Amino acid sequence: MQVLKGISFELGEGEVKVVFGPSGSGKSTLLRCINMLNPPDKGEVYLRGENITDPEVNINAMRARIGMVFQHFNLFAHLKAIDNVSIGLRRVRGFPKEEAREKALEVLQTVKMEKWADHYPAELSGGQQQRVGIARALAMDPDVILFDEPTSALDPELIGEVLQVMLDLAKAGTTMIVVTHEMGFAKAVASEMIFLGDGVIIESGTPEHFFISPKSERVKKFLQQLDILYGSHEKLLK
Amino acid sequence: MILQDRPNPIGELLIVLEYWDHILSGFLLTMWLYGWALLMGFFLGLILANLRQYGGWFLSRIASGYIEFMRGTPLLAQLFFIYFLPSSLNIPVGNWKIETSFTILNKDITIILLNYRTLAGLLTLGLNSAAYQAEYFRGSIMSVGTEQLMAAQSIGMSRIAGIRHIVLPQALRRVIPAWSNEAAYLPKYTVVVYFIGVKDLFSQAHLTVTLTFISVTTYVLIAIIFLVTITLISKGLDIIHKKTMIPGL
Repeated sequence: MQVLKGISFELGEGEVKVVFGPSGSGKSTLLRCINMLNPPDKGEVYLRGENITDPEVNINAMRARIGMVFQHFNLFAHLKAIDNVSIGLRRVRGFPKEEAREKALEVLQTVKMEKWADHYPAELSGGQQQRVGIARALAMDPDVILFDEPTSALDPELIGEVLQVMLDLAKAGTTMIVVTHEMGFAKAVASEMIFLGDGVIIESGTPEHFFISPKSERVKKFLQQLDILYGSHEKLLK
Repeated sequence: MILQDRPNPIGELLIVLEYWDHILSGFLLTMWLYGWALLMGFFLGLILANLRQYGGWFLSRIASGYIEFMRGTPLLAQLFFIYFLPSSLNIPVGNWKIETSFTILNKDITIILLNYRTLAGLLTLGLNSAAYQAEYFRGSIMSVGTEQLMAAQSIGMSRIAGIRHIVLPQALRRVIPAWSNEAAYLPKYTVVVYFIGVKDLFSQAHLTVTLTFISVTTYVLIAIIFLVTITLISKGLDIIHKKTMIPGL
């Protein structure tokens, strides 16, 4: 089945791209094509000028430069929070044990999880797990981090702490592609938003463009639905 | 006075226990076979499970075929096949042996650790157990889920490193309760080596019966030895399972 039908965009250093759209539109597939977890049948992906879709390229080394944060966190269940963060440093970057631990602890501090370093994922709340998930990606000092609906599996009261970490990262100049329906987040930090539908880019533009004058009917409808979900219901009462 | 002619289980047991050196050497040989077969089945089973799960089109079919064949044919037939194969191909098997002797309570006990017969028995039990263990391992690998491997790859680990450092440590913890089935079955399966003349616990029981003409008591004693051994193995695995459990899960 063809999921993505010709998608092309560029992402500059320090930019935050927000991808949104109905389910089944190919958002997750797009992210997995970018880091080759689902290698695309056709097309190319470049990271700082290097073609990572080239079969000659060492894809593991490339993936180490592309962080990924998953909808369901996907923390390594048998490892403590700190080891989830340090395992990439040790096994991929070849850090000695102590150095990896120190750096992992630093990264856990940036997501405010240092106190939970010695807890196992199953002992943490969803929000805490996702912050460890972000730390795991961050520890590798990636060129870009991909977020695949990072808050959509979370209880409402846990979303804030994860969004706060993501906002901090965006402010610090982290290059990010974020699949999300958190429009507040998009408004605050997106340099560009992409609306994906049926595997194609239906519309793209700045947050202002989308929230003030979206062109396509589909986008308008979709944003209305999001408004019902997250916005005020006064309009609906009339 | 008629009562005295009836079999007295305690008296019979005491007679049978005079042959405790036979029974001990048989027990030790059974445990020796069991240990190596379980170990061989473990490593081969782990390889088979990984091939079946991750081996791609060709290798996974080879592994599946092997597993289905070993599970679908009688253990005794497999044993005879391996035992008789060299002689049917006119390959000499030799008359070599490795044995160990020790003395307990003035009785000399000699155990043949390895000769052609024992080797054939060991190979059969190990190859057979591997097929069953492989399926337990595959089930637990599948229960860990593809997301874990995907996450490992997302931080730059190779597929093999992800399997080794992320999937298998979790799969091996999870597999213990199901795998303890195989650990409990295998000691009983080892008795098939009786048919090719290995002096295991069951052979020694048979020998004791021919020497004492006491059958039921002897076999009940053997059954109790199996029961106690297997109960201890199960308890041991329970403890390992609890000790290796991931906190919070």
